[in-house]
Amino acid sequence: MSKTTDLTRKEESLPERSREIAAVAPLVDIYENDDEILLHVDMPGVDKKDIAVNIDNGQLVLGGLRKVETTGAAQWEEFGDVEFQRTFSVPQTIDIEKVGAELKDGVLRLHLPKSEAARPRQIEIKAA
Amino acid sequence: MWTRLSDLDRMIHAMDLFQNRMNRLHPEYARLRAVPAWDIAQGGPKTNLCDAGDHLEMRVEVPGVAKDDLSVKVQGNYLEISGSRKSDAPEGYTAHRVERAVKTFTRSFTLPADVDTGKVEAQMANGLLTLTLPKLEAAKPKQITIS
Repeated sequence: MSKTTDLTRKEESLPERSREIAAVAPLVDIYENDDEILLHVDMPGVDKKDIAVNIDNGQLVLGGLRKVETTGAAQWEEFGDVEFQRTFSVPQTIDIEKVGAELKDGVLRLHLPKSEAARPRQIEIKAA
Repeated sequence: MWTRLSDLDRMIHAMDLFQNRMNRLHPEYARLRAVPAWDIAQGGPKTNLCDAGDHLEMRVEVPGVAKDDLSVKVQGNYLEISGSRKSDAPEGYTAHRVERAVKTFTRSFTLPADVDTGKVEAQMANGLLTLTLPKLEAAKPKQITIS
């Protein structure tokens, strides 16, 4: 686990950002078929606009920020503000242009299509 | 041609490495993880409860659980949340890693106040269930005027 801190260390000038948010690795399922690699990621409470997916140089970085609303006095708190963060190495054969993502019931589904050249091909065996 | 499998193996290895490194960097992470916490995989979802004076508000972490697969029961100050998380494994895919549990869960609570069961509201958004539980008139805080 890491704590999210500003790379530029702006904490002194921005006191409202000084509270550190815990970073947690979300649970992930990874599936693959001939056409794509599919990731299911649990991100409860994360809004669509707070999710970032970056693919660069064979690295897939998933990030999602969750702010938990509270009203009144807390009786118990088992979860709180969290930054979901996880990094994967992805094969270079992923067609980055066609990556698609959908969010439903707090689960992010990330489709990583394989490029045409990387798909398995049926080889026809010719009779000699 | 079949370099993809080894690519995936490498990817999974890298993920484990990443987690181990994070555990080492921040020992409190490992410690936190060692504490048995509520989780759907453990048989009960995580919850937060707030007391807002005239009502209680409970938030429940239920990622991947459809609205229809959840049930909430309230009686007096007793609250029960049960549901099931069904497998969402796609057809025709090979699974390389499955961390998200498929589970039926029930968790019950004793609330700090009696609840007006007729006015309870439940809302789902982004895998979070929010329950608004208005307190019974008798349980609401009252302003006392000093004479």
